[in-house]
Amino acid sequence: MSVLELRDVEVEYSRSGRTPVRAVAGASLSVDAGQIVGLVGETGCGKSTLARAAVGLVAPTAGSVWFEGRELRPISRRARSRTDARLQMVFQNPFSSLNPRRRVGDQIADGMAILGLVPANRRRERVSALLEQVGLPAAAALRFPHQYSGGQRQRIAIARALAAQPSVIVLDEPLSSLDASAQAQVANLLTGLARELRVGLLLISHDLAIVRHIADTVAVMYLGLLVETAPTRRLWSAPLHPYTEALIEAIPRADGKGWLPESLPGEVPDPARPPAGCRFHPRCPYAFAKCRSESPPLLEVASGRRVACWLHEHGDAERAPSTFASRTRESSGAGDQVDGV
Amino acid sequence: MKALLAVRGLRVSLPTATGLVTVVDGIDYDVGPGEVFGMAGESGSGKTISVLALLGLLPDGAVVEGTAMFDGRDLLRLDRRAMRDVRGKEIAMVFQDPLTSLHPMMTIGRQLTEHLRFHLGLSRAAANARAATLLEEVRIPDALGALGAYPHQFSGGMRQRIAIAIALACGPRALIADEPTTALDVTVQAGILRLLDRLRRQSHLAVIMITHDLGVMSSIADWLTVMYAGRVVESGPTANVLGAPRHPYTAGLLAALPHPEAPEDTPLVSIAGAPPSPQARPGGCPFHPRCKYAIGSCAMDVPDLILVGDGRRLACPVDPLVVHA
Repeated sequence: MSVLELRDVEVEYSRSGRTPVRAVAGASLSVDAGQIVGLVGETGCGKSTLARAAVGLVAPTAGSVWFEGRELRPISRRARSRTDARLQMVFQNPFSSLNPRRRVGDQIADGMAILGLVPANRRRERVSALLEQVGLPAAAALRFPHQYSGGQRQRIAIARALAAQPSVIVLDEPLSSLDASAQAQVANLLTGLARELRVGLLLISHDLAIVRHIADTVAVMYLGLLVETAPTRRLWSAPLHPYTEALIEAIPRADGKGWLPESLPGEVPDPARPPAGCRFHPRCPYAFAKCRSESPPLLEVASGRRVACWLHEHGDAERAPSTFASRTRESSGAGDQVDGV
Repeated sequence: MKALLAVRGLRVSLPTATGLVTVVDGIDYDVGPGEVFGMAGESGSGKTISVLALLGLLPDGAVVEGTAMFDGRDLLRLDRRAMRDVRGKEIAMVFQDPLTSLHPMMTIGRQLTEHLRFHLGLSRAAANARAATLLEEVRIPDALGALGAYPHQFSGGMRQRIAIAIALACGPRALIADEPTTALDVTVQAGILRLLDRLRRQSHLAVIMITHDLGVMSSIADWLTVMYAGRVVESGPTANVLGAPRHPYTAGLLAALPHPEAPEDTPLVSIAGAPPSPQARPGGCPFHPRCKYAIGSCAMDVPDLILVGDGRRLACPVDPLVVHA
């Protein structure tokens, strides 16, 4: 059974005097013990909002979040229950998520003290163990965050999350502020946590290459909706949604062969005024009449694979979007621009 | 091809609380018209400082040595006035974050035309017309409407296109792009890379591209220089350097990248340790404490950057064949 489950979660931000924005327009997602779920999509697609809803930092406008078999209550003035504290979050920027004026060890020990997990006289020992678990020397406890590089700080933030003995950690862009080498170290650390401690990870990232490397399953989000979910390998070898295909084609390859990545024409539309029909249709090279008027549901097309695209309406299970090219004559010719807009 | 910009022995020292610290320690390179020259390396390796030095944008008290010949003039010896004419007009720069490099309270039109009127002395009407053309050039839809809009009304990718349009306003011959796509999504990044590629082909723009992203380098740079702790460790044609890296640091950076065909749960290979701060750079080869191939002499002698064939320069005494065995 899934440890963390999001059921048809919607999040709407109201803006005074303007149309409210539905940042998340209905998303269902689950994370099992020891599983790494990647959530990818462009800036503004609602993935960070979904992450915040998943840990209760924002209350869903509709739908629900279930954690360890119970409905998760959004964060309020009251202290979180001990169970709910087993759902932890790590933020993008370890320069702002750690307190610069408190020692690393004290910040890690907070969670144990508040939740009463470790008696005071054993906390120092536990902090040392956690630091070693994330690959830092136990002596780091007495130092301050500024004495560490970005990658090391992100490890400290992860150690702090681990102090609460979590069953699921939601990580919002945990690697994007790091250099390649530090990124590799933290990515390996995350894989280790999932495999050895059986912690479920929901990894939000716009870096598809790293998600491909460490996630077991991937969910692709576009303008507030999940458009495709699949086991990582199959998603990459045969993307079903045209948007997934475009994301993959846009990743540069560091092989020195001079291949210019493909750009996706157009811009992400204003989430306050999403296009009618399929939200991706104005940028989709395969769009046809139905796409402009009806929104495709997220349907299971093969075991473990779900896609929201009219191309796959009739169970054309594992066919790539391009194999439907004959249907695309009436497309708007959006692919003509030299370098996209 | 004759180089448009030839940098020789560039050394930059910056003032700190503990005295002058050498941040860039002797680098050489040439960039020709229509070429993209890439500088890669981790944060703190001196990439950005080395290009800011070319434009005289370093803080007071910085000490710059060497020469940077641009079209017969040494950029490092220009007085303030002469530098003002070069900066923006002949060599332009695009920064990582267009949200901070664009003025939030000035219309796009004003930011574009300010430049044109100052450097080229165009009339208001002529400057406006040229500004609209520039926005079309970088494919901003409704260019005339965009002139009256403010930066916040555009997405990140569009803002970076606008920043590029401003940089191109006076028809510069060289463009310095410092992590121009790092803050952008891959889909948008691809568009910017294609735009830069088109500009260098059509307008023979010389581009100095700074990025830590070797994938980006691979797609656009003709020449690649890899920097570590203020020094060049390897440089050469991008295809050679990335196709068969010979410095342990370059090889390490490439190995740290996720590989599409790697079997499941293959750990990423990271370089042990972290880059040294400029105040605490080790003696000898600056990379030796993190290098798994280091031999005794690495801690003593700074390796020379020597030509090793295939257009490549390498600063490493360890037999490259051993490195890649």
